[in-house]
Amino acid sequence: MRAVGILTAVAALAALATAAEARELTSGPGAGLTTARCAICHDLEHILRSRLSRGEWEDVLANMRQRGMPPLADSEQRVILDYLAAYYGRDPAPAPAPDTHAAGGADPVAKMLDANACNGCHTVDRKLVGPAFRDIAAKYAADAGAAARLAAKIRSGGAGAWGDVPMPPNPKLSEADALSLARWVLDRKP
Amino acid sequence: MFSTLGAPRPARREHKAKEVPMDESRRSFLARVAGTGAIVALADPPLVFAQAPAPAAPEPVIPGTVSNADVLKGKDMSVFKVHSERPLTGSVPAEAHDFDVTPTERMFIRNNLLTPDIDAAQHKLTIKGLVDKELTLSVDELKRTFKAVTLQAMLECAGSGRTGFQPTPRGTPWSPTGGMGCPKWTGVRLADVLRAAGVKANAVHVAGQGADFGAVPTLAPVIRSIPMSKAMEENTLIAWDMNGAPLPKVHGYPIRLLVPGWAGSASTKWLHTLTVLDAPFKGTYMDDSYRIPRYPVAPGERMPKDAVSTEAWPVKSMITAPAPNAKFRVGEPILVRGKAWVGDGAIERVEVSLDEGVTWQAAQLDPRGDKYAWRGFRFLHRPQRPGYQTFLARAWDDKGNAQPLVSPWNPLGYFWNGVHRVGVTVEA
Repeated sequence: MRAVGILTAVAALAALATAAEARELTSGPGAGLTTARCAICHDLEHILRSRLSRGEWEDVLANMRQRGMPPLADSEQRVILDYLAAYYGRDPAPAPAPDTHAAGGADPVAKMLDANACNGCHTVDRKLVGPAFRDIAAKYAADAGAAARLAAKIRSGGAGAWGDVPMPPNPKLSEADALSLARWVLDRKP
Repeated sequence: MFSTLGAPRPARREHKAKEVPMDESRRSFLARVAGTGAIVALADPPLVFAQAPAPAAPEPVIPGTVSNADVLKGKDMSVFKVHSERPLTGSVPAEAHDFDVTPTERMFIRNNLLTPDIDAAQHKLTIKGLVDKELTLSVDELKRTFKAVTLQAMLECAGSGRTGFQPTPRGTPWSPTGGMGCPKWTGVRLADVLRAAGVKANAVHVAGQGADFGAVPTLAPVIRSIPMSKAMEENTLIAWDMNGAPLPKVHGYPIRLLVPGWAGSASTKWLHTLTVLDAPFKGTYMDDSYRIPRYPVAPGERMPKDAVSTEAWPVKSMITAPAPNAKFRVGEPILVRGKAWVGDGAIERVEVSLDEGVTWQAAQLDPRGDKYAWRGFRFLHRPQRPGYQTFLARAWDDKGNAQPLVSPWNPLGYFWNGVHRVGVTVEA
């Protein structure tokens, strides 16, 4: 009975993991930033199943701040609120659209750091929640294979290399973009 | 993952008398976490850049916590439904509750943060604040010093039944009968422990803090406080056993508060500090969450400024048999069974309706059990015609309160106690 229960549990978890990967926020301006910020602490189901007014989403964000979410810049907060109110509001959602906040720009690396909320946890020269880019570069300066592995880790997320705080995965980032980000990080040597 | 920490694991998970930031200032919380070398490693440990071993579990598990996979090994996954993985929440439906005592494998899970993995031998409980003598007790000392009691009592999340509300408020989507259970608890009376510390005359509330922590160090600790009257009540416990076995890790091992009948968040899991205060605790889990308007608000409205903290559950019941959509034959007896409970008072009667609430007939009540245990009821029906037959159950308490058909909407979706309805098919 117990053994069956365990097998069922494992099967259920595997199913959950698959389902969780399959479920992404609807594409739209700010979807990437919203995913990156919110998924640090909780799964996206909490958003996917919600249909709330703009005011209610404002209250949710206020509540998350009170609970201690890593600080959001005002500009980020506006993007996230606009996105949630439009795509997870009580009114019918607009059609999926490109995530303009994740699209390229004058400085592709800065855009990628913004869109994926990397800078919520990392800066170039100072440790925040995650390590400073400069420290990562210094650590792996002599490692020729570092860029590929770092790129993979940016996409898969994980924990343990720099402490206990897990880094959320960034599956929407293409392999090519992850590799350019990794190379850029490894160039930040002090 | 490139490597694992070569340095010894930080001492975050020791639960000795640590300073508890009762002002909940983020700075002191960070200092506490950082001071123990915990989530944020201040000094860079020596790192080895190596290929990580293949992950054994699909989820990243933070050291000092129990994985969801391990937690769910203790649940009956044939009936247990997970509502969210981070934070972990889950429950069983009404028809899986057809037991006098909720089996541990079917008890609901509601975490706010992660499930901490605590060493009971190292765990300490500190009683401080407005007391004559601050106490710090090991779990063994707690068990040795005070009289142990065992009682059956309801524990129900404030949001239990949230999906009954239209439109659905934010939060865990508990089914109308999910997020509650009534196991047997063993522990010591909170009143005995507080008396040993000597409660000062100006004490108003006592706050419980647990050892759970979240994915990032900025997260506020989960702290709820309850009035002294409830704290000193003989059924409020510091519990270590559920159904005669040590609390499972996800249910608060090694010790938790059990504040029966009240919104579940008062029953602090992984309890390590009790602070006696001269006012309700101020913090996000008191002032932003677990609040309910004084008067009903229109569906979709935001929380009024003068909302109050959730306390005792209103009168509620559920039908545990037959299961929805069960099949019967004309003339075949259908035994409708269920449970009724109330957070403050006693169940006086339960009625069943066979005609969508137009008329009601008395159900037979099981004998009264422990004060905060649910009370069983049964009603025999012999269908005389084929078709779809619904059963509605409505409980009354000893103060004359009954369950409404639809509970008053509120922004956080708490205290759903609308009449439960189950339909079956009767074949010719």
